[in-house]
Amino acid sequence: MNSSIKINNVFVRFKIYENNNLSLKDFFSKNFLRKPSQQDRYFDAANDISLEINPGERIGIIGRNGAGKSTLLKLICGICPPSSGKVSVEGKIASLLELGAGFHPEFTGRENLYLNGAIIGFTEQQVKKIENEVIAFSELDSFIDVPVKYYSSGMYMRLAFSLATAIHPDILILDEVFAAGDICFVEKARLRMHEMINKANILIMVSHDMDLVRELANRVIWIESGRVHKSGDPKSVIDAFTKFMSNGNL
Amino acid sequence: MINAIQAIQKYQFLIRLLIRQQLVLRYRRTFFGYFWTLINPLLTMGASSIIFGTLFKADIKTFAVYLFAGFIPWNCFNNILIQTSNSLLANEGLMKKIACPKIVFPISVSISVLIDSFLSFIALFLLMLLIQPLFSWALVFIPIAFLLIYFFSIGIALILSILTVYFRDLQYVVTIFLQVFFFFTPVVYRSDSLGSGLVARLMSLNPLNIFIELMRLPLVDHIFPDLSIIATALLLSISSFIFGLYIFKKYEKTLIYRL
Repeated sequence: MNSSIKINNVFVRFKIYENNNLSLKDFFSKNFLRKPSQQDRYFDAANDISLEINPGERIGIIGRNGAGKSTLLKLICGICPPSSGKVSVEGKIASLLELGAGFHPEFTGRENLYLNGAIIGFTEQQVKKIENEVIAFSELDSFIDVPVKYYSSGMYMRLAFSLATAIHPDILILDEVFAAGDICFVEKARLRMHEMINKANILIMVSHDMDLVRELANRVIWIESGRVHKSGDPKSVIDAFTKFMSNGNL
Repeated sequence: MINAIQAIQKYQFLIRLLIRQQLVLRYRRTFFGYFWTLINPLLTMGASSIIFGTLFKADIKTFAVYLFAGFIPWNCFNNILIQTSNSLLANEGLMKKIACPKIVFPISVSISVLIDSFLSFIALFLLMLLIQPLFSWALVFIPIAFLLIYFFSIGIALILSILTVYFRDLQYVVTIFLQVFFFFTPVVYRSDSLGSGLVARLMSLNPLNIFIELMRLPLVDHIFPDLSIIATALLLSISSFIFGLYIFKKYEKTLIYRL
């Protein structure tokens, strides 16, 4: 398996709209009446990021809120295209940016399992193959044909988690997702999560839990205002980051 | 463009599930279920055939068939435009979380509308048999007519779905525009009853005329449409579809920043 991720001089620029929804009125007044609208402001969520991630790497991404960590993940997943620069990814990606993102409340657990599997990019055969295993792992056998809106939040999480972790991607992307459920399930979920992580060729995770990052990552990247502030071995980067944070910021 | 079609192929399992979702959700847990899709065209057609039939001093039975053949393509066009133009906004949450080709959303919504239209065509057709005998060989053309209307509508709908993300007002504009456009389309009246003045000449430019003819000729006159009509319709459908796909592909990527 040779997965790799290359990011070259990538910018992600968001335009800040005073009024997020450009309406027809604004459009006409701007283009036909030449009435200047408010000066557009920009925000660079990724500011000249260059990164190379090689097979076998376990990357932990740390940084303050709003520093651009999630944007970086979205760039790699292909949800956000870069405004300039180049992102090239080799290998099958699975991202756990949010558990149960595609679930529809009116549908049964099984229907959602199929729908969500398809959204992630599975074929029918692939979903069929994991179906029983997911149902068994989530311990929802007797509720799987009930609409998920009648699920308790624990049941909902269990289904979402079991489905998301049934995939074995080359590149695994995690954004602060760790399981919910009763004590028994949490332990089971932790093991499954580790199995998934171990099987992945590349792991990229965002977390504020420094102990977790220390445990899982073999390289840590500290993102600050859309830039790679520091990158290197977990201990030194995490120490620098915690020191920086406890010193009351910049 | 080729990419878009490949994406549709690759994600056909997802599209199938989404179509099923739309169709099932519409009627799940309603007492009358599918019957609700029929009520609306049935009432509109019933009321219009009585009012306009009397107004135009036409035989109500023949006029009802005439209306039926006009309402079916109109409703198909109308519903595809209205429902598909909203499809990207409706799936905003999903698109921000998971990377999948965005074209699956308008495609699945529009196909589900097409299926709905076709089903309501069949049901209404059976009802129509009670008043008029409609069978003829020309009926084999109906599915083709549906496809031509579909490709014409989806092209426009793809562009609208993109524009609606940029201009949210458009959801309302589309509905109002279609309401007005309805009166400029010969659904409840005959296009030749407008005479040959300026209005008639302007109205003859309406591309929907052709698509309505595609349904009326087999249903009302029991004949196959002329090759020239079919060729024009085909040309309109293909160009609308290609142009729609092109625009969609062009703006699909940067869309996420405007959601």
